[in-house]
Amino acid sequence: MNNQDELKGEIKRMVVENLMLQINPEEIGDDQPLFGPGSLGLDSVDALQLVVALDKNYGLKITDPEAARSILQTANSIVHAIVSSNPDS
Amino acid sequence: MSQHIILITGANGHLGRAITHAFLEESPDNVIWLGVHRRREHADELAAANPNRCRVTSLDVTRPESWQAAVKEISAAHQRLDVLVNNAGTHDDAFLAQMKLESWREVLAVNLDGVFHGCRAVLPAMISQHGGRIINIASLSALLAPAGQTNYAAAKGGIVSLTQSLAKEVARIGITVNAICPGYLETEMLVDMDDAARKRALAQIPMRRFGKPEEVAVAVRFLACAEAAYITGSVLKIDGGIF
Repeated sequence: MNNQDELKGEIKRMVVENLMLQINPEEIGDDQPLFGPGSLGLDSVDALQLVVALDKNYGLKITDPEAARSILQTANSIVHAIVSSNPDS
Repeated sequence: MSQHIILITGANGHLGRAITHAFLEESPDNVIWLGVHRRREHADELAAANPNRCRVTSLDVTRPESWQAAVKEISAAHQRLDVLVNNAGTHDDAFLAQMKLESWREVLAVNLDGVFHGCRAVLPAMISQHGGRIINIASLSALLAPAGQTNYAAAKGGIVSLTQSLAKEVARIGITVNAICPGYLETEMLVDMDDAARKRALAQIPMRRFGKPEEVAVAVRFLACAEAAYITGSVLKIDGGIF
């Protein structure tokens, strides 16, 4: 398992634990939408909690709603944003 | 009783000190951070009398960076922040036709912008810990706006609306947001009133007396306690019965 796979697992656990979802982290698909039709069913309050958690745990600062919409689409998009913000890690 | 980490703005004033005493009496484990700006002598006395339980921090509520520094200091010491009491306030009364723009802006900046900046500063910590209490000190002027206080009444009315809107935003995260609207209190706010004005004010109060800061402080303490977890978006008048 490479670093990005480990990170993806962490992100899924973070989503489940922070939002107190009644599912296993493994049930979240890598490219499954988190918001909107056919998604995990998250809403704007969930997004607020994820933004805070990503800043606290990964130092990822999401400063505007447009960026949040882009970054929080899927587990993969979150991982991509974290990796991009820490290119040396 | 478990420990609460509490930040009170405007802590050097009468009401801020009364709120501090209320939390000191609630639990010997509570730690109260006293946010002060310009004047701090009473807050320093409280901290000296209650070492390890009261700590003074410089906080200009109108400046976001000042809030960030204060919250960072508290988070570094305790890794959490349970209660924010937005108590700092000022007034500069005048009829609107004669009101200076600086007066309007200053009163809005301290009373309303200060609450906005404060809530923004503490919410990341409260969201991370899945809980918290925000208590905003508004005023009866928010509900019964008197002549000569367009700036103050607008700011305090804004606090009430901010409270209700934010309460809905963060309810699911376990954070409650409530407002208290004190009427006439025996605080520095009455110092500017002459005897005739005091008599007119007393005549409006069904209880025929001014409120004590302690009578507001107990309500603040109640809204911060565990048993008040289902109360959010509330606006509590404490005014001796004025309608």
